[in-house]
Amino acid sequence: MLKRFFPAMLAIAMVAPLYAQAPLRIAAAADLAPVLPPILQEFQQATGIRAEATFQASAMLTSQIENGAPFDVFMSADLSYPKRLLDAGLADTGGLAVPSTPITYAKGTLVLWERKDSQLPPPSLDLLRNPNLKRLAIANPDRAPYGRAAVAALTSLKLYDDLKPRIVTAENISQTAQFAESGNADAGLISLTSALTPQLANSGSYFVIPRDLYPPIEQGMVIVNKTTQREAAQKLLDFLLSPAVQAQFAKSGLTPVK
Amino acid sequence: MDWQAFALSLRLATVTTVILLAVAVPLAALLVLGRGRWLPALEALAALPMVLPPTVLGFFLLVLLGPRTAFGRGIAALLGHPLAFSFDGLVVGSVIYSLPFAVQPLVAGFSSVDTALVDAARLLGAGPVRLVLSILVPLARRSLLAAVVLSFLHTVGEFGVVLMLGGDIPGATRTLSITLYNQVGNFDYASAERTAATLLGLSVLALAVIYSTQKRGSRGRA
Repeated sequence: MLKRFFPAMLAIAMVAPLYAQAPLRIAAAADLAPVLPPILQEFQQATGIRAEATFQASAMLTSQIENGAPFDVFMSADLSYPKRLLDAGLADTGGLAVPSTPITYAKGTLVLWERKDSQLPPPSLDLLRNPNLKRLAIANPDRAPYGRAAVAALTSLKLYDDLKPRIVTAENISQTAQFAESGNADAGLISLTSALTPQLANSGSYFVIPRDLYPPIEQGMVIVNKTTQREAAQKLLDFLLSPAVQAQFAKSGLTPVK
Repeated sequence: MDWQAFALSLRLATVTTVILLAVAVPLAALLVLGRGRWLPALEALAALPMVLPPTVLGFFLLVLLGPRTAFGRGIAALLGHPLAFSFDGLVVGSVIYSLPFAVQPLVAGFSSVDTALVDAARLLGAGPVRLVLSILVPLARRSLLAAVVLSFLHTVGEFGVVLMLGGDIPGATRTLSITLYNQVGNFDYASAERTAATLLGLSVLALAVIYSTQKRGSRGRA
């Protein structure tokens, strides 16, 4: 039975996507990985527009868009990368803000996270001074805004030079959390969005790094110029700035801007 | 050019290749000379890393051999540090990752040795070690060269395992292919071009060595 229909099913499965409306493609900073998927589902329910997100370090996504990646919207974890695309004429703000400035949609928070079963004292600034802290995971400061914030915070504390040989660098902020969660690193400077996920909330605890220790992680978004779905992209931007979604950001570890 | 990463990649590939030769020569000999129903299973296991996504391997090494399993804690106690984020961890990953590239050419080479020679050696009382070292290896030396070059290059080109397991530490886990990835991420396309050209050059050079020796071999035989 299944065998007889299989070729037909395969044919339909291969042809069907060609006729369906292509989804809106979002290039999203890795700190949004725990936050964005439910919001995009609500967006689809509200507007009928399907949106799919790809999560990576902000700089990697920028590099991909510069080289023609087919994204419609770019949600960075900082303002510098979307600004770079604006300046290169590869993106715009859809008339929502000053044309040369990315639209700020939220602010990020850096936390120190540690497994509950760790032999070391619970997370605090003192943990960073503990000589038994052998491996501290941070995101790559050259391409992940949270990594840059981590280095800035450690530098403000005058701990960076001392800790440098003990730092392991992850590709993006999700991988930083993974290094710490798997116990391969003793602790990690990760995003509050990761620390609030059920998985990490269960297995560990976090300490909010004082905000005066690093420049604010202002997160900006832009529409990629080459999009063929400008109207849908514009709707998504409006949706992300709506009070309901902003409130949801607040619950997921981002500071709302509205 | 990131010479530290260049040196690290060469060191990793050299250590991996030496270990692989010690493992792959007996393994390939067993696969060719051995008898038993379990041999195809063993052969499949030895070929597995060729089709396995490197990220799967990286995941296993990071999580199953990490500090949260008893086995991982045993390794950490033995080495004095967890396997992840260390050169040793990359060696373990590379040996598994490149195993088929050492085993396959050796199996092909050993299989092409005339069975009459193997039988004669056996009749004259050669044990398995002597058989391998005095008959199979010398007669299949071109396959041995291919195994060495392919294992070496495959390790130099390794990326997925290193990205998942490495932690990007200069001098310990930042290999040349990671440097290339970093350079692209930092928009430093000029450096990325040089790194990519180095990796490309290495590969072409090594393959040229393999093919030139094979050509000479077939001409000699004809």
